[in-house]
Amino acid sequence: MIFLLLVFFAIVVWLEVPGLIRKKYWRELAVFSLFLLSTFFLSLLQLLDVRIPNPVKGIEYVIKDILRLNYK
Amino acid sequence: MLMKIEKGTISSSQLLFLAAAFVQGAALVVAFAYVVTKHDVWIIIISGLAVTLPFLWGCVSLAKSFPGQNMVQIMESVYGTFLGKGLSILFISFPFQVISHNLRFIGDFFVIYMYPKTPLVVFLILFIAVCAWAVRSGIETIARIGLVTVAITIFIDVLTFFLLLGEMEATNFLPMFELSVGDFIQGTHIMFAIPYGELMIFLMIVPYVNKIKQAKSALLWGLTIGAATLLILVVRDIAALGSLANVLVAPSFEAVRLIDIAHVITRMELLVAIVLLITVFIKISVLYYASALGIAQIFGLRTYRPLVIPIAIFSVSFSMVIYDAAAEQMYVGANIWPVYSLLFYMLPVMTMLIAKFRRLPRAQEGVRP
Repeated sequence: MIFLLLVFFAIVVWLEVPGLIRKKYWRELAVFSLFLLSTFFLSLLQLLDVRIPNPVKGIEYVIKDILRLNYK
Repeated sequence: MLMKIEKGTISSSQLLFLAAAFVQGAALVVAFAYVVTKHDVWIIIISGLAVTLPFLWGCVSLAKSFPGQNMVQIMESVYGTFLGKGLSILFISFPFQVISHNLRFIGDFFVIYMYPKTPLVVFLILFIAVCAWAVRSGIETIARIGLVTVAITIFIDVLTFFLLLGEMEATNFLPMFELSVGDFIQGTHIMFAIPYGELMIFLMIVPYVNKIKQAKSALLWGLTIGAATLLILVVRDIAALGSLANVLVAPSFEAVRLIDIAHVITRMELLVAIVLLITVFIKISVLYYASALGIAQIFGLRTYRPLVIPIAIFSVSFSMVIYDAAAEQMYVGANIWPVYSLLFYMLPVMTMLIAKFRRLPRAQEGVRP
């Protein structure tokens, strides 16, 4: 599975990066790399069954238990 | 930021159909409101519309007073660069989250009703891949499909309505107006926050309409057409299912399943699935486009296209973690999300008030309409 993930991300890099370099879009390349790296680690953690904190649970906790603004 | 990332333009009628399809994409999300208001859900569809029309009117007025600028650019000129960027990140995080929720909803729908043995992630990836393709092609491409989508949706909704006439019981609507004031307010709030108010995202798209003067009526009519479709749908479901509609994840799917005309015309529920697929496709594509464009503008990029695939991967990852079960989504959608989303809905209102207060946009900039 990790191999497949690497292949997938390699394809994405192969699709996007040459065009960006050819047009000299360095800033775009930097932001793209930042996003792609973070998504890579996120999906890698998911593949390895690491529990990622659930943002919706956080919202629920803040609204329900701290602010007490929820309906029911 | 003066340079324009999106070079395409759409016509105001395309905007209208895009908005209508966007609201129709929420056909299943109405299920959140069923839990609260039971068979009186048609009332809150109308009252939610009444609340949303002035809100949207305000949003488009804001876009019109800053012609050619979308929400991120407007906030930068109203609040200044630093605070504007911060609030833009908050604004853009809204469509970003809504993508994941919608994606999870459509994925769950397919897993529960049609492909029970297929893993959820398959649907998420297939769906977002098509959306990513559409978003990479630009807003013109997404807008072109709007008319077809709305036509198919209205046709199928009306068709199933008539085919179901035999199953309908007018007594299912009785007793009318049974809901308490609290439930009424909650229901209206759900309708405002989930299907209708998300049209706020069109603030990112309105600047690309070629005749900005017609944008306001186009958006408001789009919302009204979408709401009318939802109303047909809800009346059909309640009349056909009765109190059963309150407990199902997808009432319209279950209602259409009842169609059986001489054992020949049966299994029409696949039509509902098709409609859902195409309308949710439009909805996710618009949200997706808005978040890609917004993030590109926040970072000051010249094109949003490289961001499209990373956002898709993010959305799939988040969709996988946000809920353990469909019932949890029902609870959050009915009780938590409407309150939480007010944080985002206050942004255009606040921006409008501050723009008025600071007398923006100034006349010497030559942008006064």
